[in-house]
Amino acid sequence: MAQAQLEMKPGVRVDLLPPRRHPLTEFWRRYRRNRLAVVGLVIALLFVVTGIGSPWIAPYSYTEQNLDAVELPPSWAHPLGTDDLGRDQFSRLVWAARTALIVAPSATVVGVTLGLLFGLMAGYFGGWVDRIIMRLSDVLFAFPGLLFALLIAATLQPRFEQWLLQFEVTKPWVRSGYVEFLVVITALSAVGWPGLARLVRGQILSLREEPFIEAAEALGIPAHRILFRHLLPNALPPVIVAISMGMGGAILAEASLSFLGIGIQPPTPSWGGMIINNFQYWRKPSAPWMLWAPGLIVAALVFAFNFIGDGLNEALNPRDQR
Amino acid sequence: MARLLDVRDLETRFYTQDGIVHAVNGVSFHVDEGETLGIVGESGSGKSVTVLSIMRLIPSPPGKITSGEIIFEGRDLLKIDEEEMREVRGNRMAMIFQDPMTSLNPVLTIEQQITEALELHLGMNHQQARRRAIELLKMVGIPAAEQRIDNYPHQFSGGMRQRVMIAMGLACNPRLLIADEPTTALDVTIQAQIVELVKRLRDEIGMAIIWITHDLSLLAGLADRIIVMYAGQVVESAQTADIYRNPRHPYTIGLLQSIPRLDEKRRERLEPIEGVAPRSH
Amino acid sequence: MNAQRANGNGREQPLIRVEGLRVYFPITRGIIFQRHVGDVKAVDGLDFEIKRGETLGLVGESGCGKSTTGRAILQLYRPTSGHVYFGDVDLTTLKGEALRRMRRRMQMIFQDPYASLNPRMTVGGIVGEPLEVHGIAKGKEKRERVQELLRVVGLNPYFINRYPHEFSGGQRQRIGIARALALNPDFIVCDEPISALDVSIQAQIINLLEDLQEQFGLTYLFIAHDLSVVRHISDRVAVMYLGKIVELANRVELYEHPLHPYTQALLSAVPIPDPEIEAQRQRIILEGDVPSPTNPPRGCRFHTRCPLAMDVCREDPEPEFKDAGGGHYVACHLVH
Repeated sequence: MAQAQLEMKPGVRVDLLPPRRHPLTEFWRRYRRNRLAVVGLVIALLFVVTGIGSPWIAPYSYTEQNLDAVELPPSWAHPLGTDDLGRDQFSRLVWAARTALIVAPSATVVGVTLGLLFGLMAGYFGGWVDRIIMRLSDVLFAFPGLLFALLIAATLQPRFEQWLLQFEVTKPWVRSGYVEFLVVITALSAVGWPGLARLVRGQILSLREEPFIEAAEALGIPAHRILFRHLLPNALPPVIVAISMGMGGAILAEASLSFLGIGIQPPTPSWGGMIINNFQYWRKPSAPWMLWAPGLIVAALVFAFNFIGDGLNEALNPRDQR
Repeated sequence: MARLLDVRDLETRFYTQDGIVHAVNGVSFHVDEGETLGIVGESGSGKSVTVLSIMRLIPSPPGKITSGEIIFEGRDLLKIDEEEMREVRGNRMAMIFQDPMTSLNPVLTIEQQITEALELHLGMNHQQARRRAIELLKMVGIPAAEQRIDNYPHQFSGGMRQRVMIAMGLACNPRLLIADEPTTALDVTIQAQIVELVKRLRDEIGMAIIWITHDLSLLAGLADRIIVMYAGQVVESAQTADIYRNPRHPYTIGLLQSIPRLDEKRRERLEPIEGVAPRSH
Repeated sequence: MNAQRANGNGREQPLIRVEGLRVYFPITRGIIFQRHVGDVKAVDGLDFEIKRGETLGLVGESGCGKSTTGRAILQLYRPTSGHVYFGDVDLTTLKGEALRRMRRRMQMIFQDPYASLNPRMTVGGIVGEPLEVHGIAKGKEKRERVQELLRVVGLNPYFINRYPHEFSGGQRQRIGIARALALNPDFIVCDEPISALDVSIQAQIINLLEDLQEQFGLTYLFIAHDLSVVRHISDRVAVMYLGKIVELANRVELYEHPLHPYTQALLSAVPIPDPEIEAQRQRIILEGDVPSPTNPPRGCRFHTRCPLAMDVCREDPEPEFKDAGGGHYVACHLVH
C-alpha cells in the first residue's frame, strides 16, 4: 500500500507529551485524595479478612453452648460476654461476618449481572425490549425494597425446600441451611437489579449519542463490538460505584431480613439475628453491648461502602481530569 | 482622554492539587474613558482570568489575586471591601459572557432579571424600573419589547439572549463594559448584528469597552487598541492599525499568518505556529 | 486505485453524486401511542456532485443542515428520500454487510477531538480497530501500520499505547485523522474539523489535510461555518440555508461574485484582519433569526430575512437551483 512507503515529512514537528503515569498509580492517587474513602477501604478490608478468617479469629465455635455461663458480662474469656444460651458473643459476631460475606457479594453480583444485562438490552435495542424491561422495573420500584424481599423470601423458602426434598442428592441441603442462603440471595438480587438496570440504560442512551460511537459506526465496526468494546467499558464506572454502594445496602438488607425472622435462621449467626435475639437485653442496662455491637458493625460497613463508592466516583470520572 | 482603568502588575494564581497555576503573570494595561480595548489570546492565555480579576469574580479558593493594583475611577479595587465592590459591579462596570443561556436565570422572566439591578442600584420603584427595562430592550433591538419583557430566557434565540444580556449590562449606565467572547457561540451573521449593536451603543452612551476574543479579525473594525496575551502575559500592546500593519512580537505575527483571510487572493500555504502552548505551571 | 488517479482517469465522472437528498427527523408526542406531529426538515432536497480529487466546501450557519448532509452521504443518517451515488453504487440501497464494506472507501473526521475518541481505548486501539474489523491487518502487522499512520499525521509512533486524554486538542485531531486514513479511503467528510481548536493549531491541521489530499488523492467534503477557512481549502463551495443549497460555485467565483443575497450577507459579515479594509466595508446586516426548519417559510426560504425580497419570493414555488453560467448554481428569483 502507498502508506507504507511514506516517510515522516520534514518540518512536521512531533509534539511532546507529559510523562506517563501508570493508570493504577493514577487511580490510587485520585482515590486517596478522599480520606473517608480510604477509611472505608480499611473497614471493608477488615470485614473481608474477618469473614475469611473467622475459624481462626473466633475463640469459640458459633454453636458452642455453655449453659453454666449464660448472660455473662465481658471478661478475658468472653470479650463481649455470652448470650442466653451461653454462646460467646464475640465469636458469633466474627462468624456472622462470614455469613454477610457470603450473602452480600453474591446478592450484589447476581443483582449487578441482571441489572447490567437488562440495562444494556433496554438501552441498546430500545423499542419494545426497552419498554418491557422498564415497566417491569417500575413495578419492582413501586414496592418498598425490603418488603418485597421479605415477600419473596417468605413465599420462596417453603416451595424451594419442598422442591429440593424431591431429590435424593439435594435432600441434605435443606437440613444444612444452604437453602436459607440461596433464598436470601435470590430475594436480595430480585430487589437489587432494577436500579442498576436504569442506571446502565441511561448510560448507554447518553453514550450512544457520543461522537466516538458515531465514529465507530462510520468505520463499519459491527454492532456487537460497538456494544461490548465501546459502550460497555464507558458505562462501567458508575456501575462500579453502584456495586460498592449496593454492597452496603445488601449487608443492611440481609441483617434486616434476619432481624424480621425471614432469611438466615439460627444457629447460623447473622448480625440481624443477633440483634433480634439480644433484643431482650434492651431493658437490661448491664448488657447493652450485646445489642450495640452487631448494630454498630452493620452501620460502619454501610458507611464504609458508601465512602468507597464516593471515592471511586471521584477517581473514575474521566471528565474530571486533574 | 481621562484614564478610566489602570491595571498594574496583576498576578492571579490558582492553587490546585497539582501545584500553583500562574494564570495571570504580571499583566499591566489601561483603558481610557470611551475607549475600546481588544484583548486577544488563545485558551489558557489568561485573558478571561484577567477580566474576572478586575471584576473580583475569581473563585477563591483555589484562585487568588496575589499582587498588583486595579485602579478604577481613581480607587484601587483590590483595597475596597466586598460591599463597595458590589456597588462597582453592575453599577460602574458590567460584564457580558460567552454563553448567554447559562448567565441568565432560567426560572425568572427577563423583566425580573433587569429590574432587580435597577431597583437595587438606582433605587427605582417597580413602575419606573419596568419602563426603563422596556426602554433598554428597545435600545438593544428586541422587537415587541413590551410583550417580550415578560418572557423567559428559553423563549429567546441565542442572538436575542445576548441582546438581553447587553441590556442588563447597560441597565445602570456603566462606564466600562467587559465583553468576554460574547459572539463566540453565535453564527457569523448574528455576530455581525451584535458587533454593530455594541458599536452603536458605545457611540450613543460613550462607555469604554474591553472586548475579549480569540479572533484577531473581529477586532480590526472594533477596537481602538489591542493587547495580545500569551501564557498569562501581555506580549504585545499597540494601536489597532499597528498590530495588523506592523506586528512586532513573533506570536502576533504567527497569529496573523496562521489564519486564512476572506479576501485571500492566491491560495498560499498557511504558516502555523508549531508545537503546543506551554502549560502555565 | 492510486494508479488510476495518477493517470488522471475518472476525473470527469463525479465520485459522489447526490440527488434529491432529504433527511427529516420526525417529531412525536405521547408516551405509549406515539403520534407523528411534524418533521424537522434538516435537509430538504439537495442536488450536487463532488468530483474525484476535489474539495467541496459546505458552509452555512448552525442548524442549516450541513452536518446532517455529511452524515446522510455516509449513511450514518438514513435519508428520508433521494439518492447518494458513490461512483456507480447507490449507497441508499445498501444495508448490513454491503454497506459495511463500502465504509472502507468513505470516512469522516469529526469536530470535537475530545468526544470523538473513545476515552477507554489507547491510540493503538483506536487507529488499529478498523484494520482489524475489516480484516486488513492484525497483530504485529497492525501495530506497524498504526505506527506508520501516526507518523503520516505527524505524531510520534512511540505514543501508540497512550490514551486520548494525554494529548492536546490538536494532537487528538491528528489521531482522528489517522483513524480516518486507516482504511485508505477515497472520500472523507470533514465535519468542522478545526472549529474546536485554538487559532494557532488550526493552521497545522489545515496544512495536514491539504498534504494528505495531495499524497493520497483524497476527495473531501469540507463542512464549516468559517467562510475564510472554506475559501482557503475548497475548490468549489456550496452555501446552505435552512436545509437547502442556495448557491454553489468555484471558490473564486463565489467569493468575488456572490449572486445570492444570503451569500452576500454572509460574506459581508465575516471580519477581515485589516482595519483599513474594515473601515471601508459595507456590511449587510440581516434582520432577525433563522426560521425553524420544522416549518420553513413558503416560497423562497430566505425571504423573511432577505433585504431584496420581492412579491414573487413570498409565493410558492421556491426559486429553482439552476446554473447561472459557468457552473455557478444559484436558487434566487433575482438571478433567473
